[in-house]
Amino acid sequence: MKELRYAARLLRRDWKAGELRLLAVSLILAVTAITAVAWLADRVAGGTEGRAAELLGGDRAVIGSEPLPEELIEQARQRDLTLSRTLEFPSVVLFGEQTQLASVKAVESGYPLRGSLLVGGDPDDSARQTREVPRSGEVWVEPRLLLQLDAAPGDTIDLGASRFTIGKMLFLEPDRGGGFQTLSPRLMMNQADVADTGLVQAASRVRYGLLVAGAEEAVAGWSAAIEPLLGDGLRLQRPGQGQAGVGRAIEAAQRFLGLSALLTVVVGGVGMLLTIRRYAARHLDRVAIMRCLGATERQIGLILSWKLFLLGLLTAAVGTLLGFGLHLAMLALVADLLPELPAAGWRPAASGVIAAQTILLGFALPTVLRLRRVPPLRVLRRELGEQVLRGAGIYPLALTAVFLLMWWQAGDLRLAIWVFAAVLGTLLVLGLAAFALVQGLRALRRGRSGIILRLSGLTRRPLTASIQIMALGLGLMALLLLTVVRGDLLATWQDSVPTDAANHFLINIQPDEATAVEQRLREAGIEAEVYPMVRGRLVQINDETVRPDDYPDPQTRRLMAREFNLSQMATLPEDNTVAAGSFWDEDAADPAFSVEVDIAERLGVSVGDTLTFEAGGSRYSATISNLREVRWDSFNVNFFVASSPGVLDDAPATYITSFHLPADQRRLMIELVRAYPSVTVIDIDAILDTVRGIMDQGTRVVELMALLTLFAGIVVLLAALQVTREERRFEGALLRSVGASREQIRRLALGEFLLLGGTAGLLAGLGAAIAGHLMASRLFELDYAFNPWLPLLGAGAGALVVTVAGLLATRGLYRSSPMQLLKGAEEG
Amino acid sequence: MTDRMVLRADDLGMCFHGPEGEIRLFRNLALNITAGETVAILGASGSGKSTLLGLLAGLDTPSEGRILIGDTDITALDEDQRAILRGRELGFVFQAFHLLSGLTALENVMLPLELAGTSGASETATRALADVGLAERRGHYPRQLSGGEQQRVAIARAFVTGPRLLLADEPTGNLDQTTGGRVSDLLFSRNREAGTTLVLVTHDPLLARRCDRVLQLSDGRLEAA
Ligand SMILES: Nc1ncnc2c1ncn2[C@@H]1O[C@H](COP(=O)(O)OP(=O)(O)OP(=O)(O)O)[C@@H](O)[C@H]1O
Ligand SMILES: [Mg+2]
Repeated sequence: MKELRYAARLLRRDWKAGELRLLAVSLILAVTAITAVAWLADRVAGGTEGRAAELLGGDRAVIGSEPLPEELIEQARQRDLTLSRTLEFPSVVLFGEQTQLASVKAVESGYPLRGSLLVGGDPDDSARQTREVPRSGEVWVEPRLLLQLDAAPGDTIDLGASRFTIGKMLFLEPDRGGGFQTLSPRLMMNQADVADTGLVQAASRVRYGLLVAGAEEAVAGWSAAIEPLLGDGLRLQRPGQGQAGVGRAIEAAQRFLGLSALLTVVVGGVGMLLTIRRYAARHLDRVAIMRCLGATERQIGLILSWKLFLLGLLTAAVGTLLGFGLHLAMLALVADLLPELPAAGWRPAASGVIAAQTILLGFALPTVLRLRRVPPLRVLRRELGEQVLRGAGIYPLALTAVFLLMWWQAGDLRLAIWVFAAVLGTLLVLGLAAFALVQGLRALRRGRSGIILRLSGLTRRPLTASIQIMALGLGLMALLLLTVVRGDLLATWQDSVPTDAANHFLINIQPDEATAVEQRLREAGIEAEVYPMVRGRLVQINDETVRPDDYPDPQTRRLMAREFNLSQMATLPEDNTVAAGSFWDEDAADPAFSVEVDIAERLGVSVGDTLTFEAGGSRYSATISNLREVRWDSFNVNFFVASSPGVLDDAPATYITSFHLPADQRRLMIELVRAYPSVTVIDIDAILDTVRGIMDQGTRVVELMALLTLFAGIVVLLAALQVTREERRFEGALLRSVGASREQIRRLALGEFLLLGGTAGLLAGLGAAIAGHLMASRLFELDYAFNPWLPLLGAGAGALVVTVAGLLATRGLYRSSPMQLLKGAEEG
Repeated sequence: MTDRMVLRADDLGMCFHGPEGEIRLFRNLALNITAGETVAILGASGSGKSTLLGLLAGLDTPSEGRILIGDTDITALDEDQRAILRGRELGFVFQAFHLLSGLTALENVMLPLELAGTSGASETATRALADVGLAERRGHYPRQLSGGEQQRVAIARAFVTGPRLLLADEPTGNLDQTTGGRVSDLLFSRNREAGTTLVLVTHDPLLARRCDRVLQLSDGRLEAA
């Protein structure tokens, strides 16, 4: 234990002497990044998984697009289970001149069977839990909806054919789930009022739900009994399962964050590799003296290990505190996307300690432990012992440590290997590019003697300079990708949408309303084709029965498992072109199908094949007479499969249309909704705004992470400056003794920093542009033009950051007189 | 006779492998030092004084021959065993003081005791510091002490374990004449009080003359001066 005491004492002195600062900052940044993500993950996971049953609203749920068979309810009653039915559908809410699409949920008393609703009387009121549901004639709405409508509790709103009073504000509903339905705000009403609104008609888009709760055995028995009864449109959900949407997105986001936290670790590790040799070198004399005074190798090893261990604990403590703060900041950024979260636990703090120790173990301990071998003879011959610190043997352990951390964060070996390879590859490419550039500058220097001085530091320490550029470049690249490239991609995507693209959809138009709606639109100067839409399952190709399992491709399988949206049309839509066969005549058409080219390829069908669809219990067959190419980005209503007039006349249909509505004609939608309550208006612009909002919030979180990486890059810069400090001091003194002014030397340093930062930024900009291009073409299928400003912007930002940091770090270095400097240089 | 023998070297030889082949510093050196003796080894710069002292202290191993400290043949020990023996039997004073900058004066003096696991280290070390007249500077770090004071701390550290043999390499080499004189006074008086055997390496004839016996190292041979 005396070793521990010595370790503590020596650590304190090292700290006071400022020798540990950069090492500690590298570690603290790494721990901050890792713990922030760990807390975020822990709490969000706790918020979603911890209350699985509440998230379902019951012990089991059956949810789907078909009405619930009476048998389900019978079975539940027989088993003494409590039950509650729900209906969900989109509808437009009217308040004065304002309209807003809401996601309506109609509930019965008893809902939710597990968990409770969180409601309040007005926006400033504190939320409270309730087991009640809205009374008849009353609706509870999400605060967001009030804001959008500019309404308040007590106001009356129109929903379909009925009028309701806004009773309470609905802050939270346990089984809110995720996915697209969360994009429009919730409106909750009593199920008894649904019929009067006229909103739910045959073939309307409604999500039916049944919640049950009760004794575990009875619930299990019920599940087993009813599962075989469920058709394709209904699904049984158990707690913790099936809440795919947001849950999975959050999980993916967490992984991504966890891995980007590791970027900070990697860059911080580079900083550590730079400083650790020098830190260890400062120990050579001490260790030699201790060896001389009788310390054994074991004692030395223990003291050094304890020292690192203590350093790990201290930095973990600081980093964990910062990480806690950072996670609060991140949560604040995405607060309204998340359910209520449980209190923060202690486990992420432990992960901070583990991370710090692992990093030290990988990056510092191997070098430091080499000190055990310092020959005691060094007390008499100072030049002995430096060689024990040399050698590349320390890198494999550092790489192993990084890989283990990646594996831990990714929770998946394959992913870890990929990310590890990608990070290593990027570092390698950046490093090589940096090295090539530095060598280029070197050649330049030889050619023009005038800039010898300006370039001196960079070209005389090409390896250190390359490492600095690499580490800084990585941080800058991450940041540029998240800010500029993301903005570019969004803009590119928006540009690819024509300005007159449809921005409104009308769905759920009832057959007897179709002509009238079309008429009303035409009167307003809007030419919009109203198409029937039939939901049908593909059951036969030619004479063969087909099932989803016949297709090996998972995407095709999913396509086959769902119902196709079929339509019937007389003429070819404007934005469609015939790719094979010929489109039917408007007047004299034989029964035929027209299929979109890509889908035809997926299904393996072509002109001449016969398709049979099943819709509403009947079958409809026709031969494919042509294949169509469709321009989806027009946002017009389009169908994978359409028939010639007459083929689907008997099938149950609703009508659908889309059109571009100029902003000054929005009143038209209010009129339409008042006249045809069951028609649902979908305002694409509003939805896109929401999506953009969510993306912005999400990326801001990741941006914070990238900032940490950049900080780590700056630490690498400082570490390199520290390593070359003596050299610089000596150079400065030398130059001053031959007559250079302090100002000239300062300018020399300035030039070096500008070049260093500029080069790193230039590479980062190029890297970000290339990565952005790859992402655009591979992931989003966009034509992303190379942004020539990106390398320039990067160079500018890099030069600025590095110059400021560099000048601050070398502040006092050139101030003293040449004599002092020379003396100081000797002492090291 | 042997129980009075503290340090003995037989047939000692040392050579290095330099870029231009082998450099032989000395060979067939013999040395006998008895308890309580003070011996100076005098020689020109580069004659091999420090090398010899390093060998005698077990900091390095000779190319040939053997060295006995008391009855122990240190050339047969491994590095860790020699370290333990150094901690127990030897004290050192160096030209460059070699105090640990991270420890206070007192902690520096305590260090060899603690490494050896001796109990009551703090009290023993305090007394040793008082013996060199630095009791009130115990809490100071080396940086806060003058060169002479640092060397006095080093002398306290050298004597604190009650070593059998004290080895000094140019103990006044980094000090001005007056301070150097005072430090060597202290060294010799502490040595007398403690009854330690002292081997001191220097190229300063004045310092050497204060010893009982003076040996001259030149051209690889060690002869009485
Ligand atoms: N490990 C070694 N490898 C090569 N040469 C060595 C080694 N150790 C010592 N020497 C050489 O041996 C010679 C003697 O060195 P040493 O330090 O013992 O001299 P010294 O008498 O103490 O000189 P000074 O009075 O300057 O301290 C020198 O020429 C030195 O270069
Ligand atoms: Mg010497």
